[in-house]
Amino acid sequence: METKGKIQFILDNKVDELSLLSAKVETMADLWDFSESLTMNLNLVLEEAISNIVFYAFNNEDEQKIYLTIEYDDDTLTALIMDCGIPFDPTRQAAPDITLPAEERTIGGLGIFLINKLMDHVEYCRKENMNILTLKKRIK
Amino acid sequence: MNITFETKSNCTVIHLTGRIDVTNSNDFETALIPILGDHRYSFLINCAELNYISSSGLRVFLLAQKKVMAARGHLFLCCMQPMIREIFDISGLSTIFDIRESEEEVLQQAD
Repeated sequence: METKGKIQFILDNKVDELSLLSAKVETMADLWDFSESLTMNLNLVLEEAISNIVFYAFNNEDEQKIYLTIEYDDDTLTALIMDCGIPFDPTRQAAPDITLPAEERTIGGLGIFLINKLMDHVEYCRKENMNILTLKKRIK
Repeated sequence: MNITFETKSNCTVIHLTGRIDVTNSNDFETALIPILGDHRYSFLINCAELNYISSSGLRVFLLAQKKVMAARGHLFLCCMQPMIREIFDISGLSTIFDIRESEEEVLQQAD
């Protein structure tokens, strides 16, 4: 498959970085002619995955980096997210019960659930002290 | 994100504009939750200009529904863009909200 576009980001582990990232992703998506819905879903899964890293991956206040690559070819959009935080495999988390009535419903775990539902392929591996999360979505 | 309130007969209409994400969902919560709950009023969140929501925004919608239900009021949502509706559907939230097509539809019923 021929790569049609590729962009890399290095983010600080701060939640404010997500505002900058979403603006950049929107610019990139315009350039790549993505639909509004694909762009929103891409931003959503990036936000859910990266905010998890920012909130939970690091035990100290030190500045840490999160590495993101977004790439697409003829039929697939791929996002690769890497961090050197504590090992965390989002593919092995229990899905929330989305059939409960409102009173009993909680939102815990919904972010990862959305990643799994919105993407066609979610893969995690731990390599050389890094969490590597690969998200793939088929596009037309 | 921008949020405005308007009272129409016995319904408080809440207009949301822009994005609700992890960076501003606390502001959304602080603006929305305190005004909810009085059972004499219905509440309608008009989502026509809401163009992004993540799980942190959905959390506030769920809080809102719980608060209104506890006060025996009624919360409506309307005018969702299809991509926002898809997120509610996937999350299983469409079944616990009263989601309508238009503001008029809700206001007729609330009268």
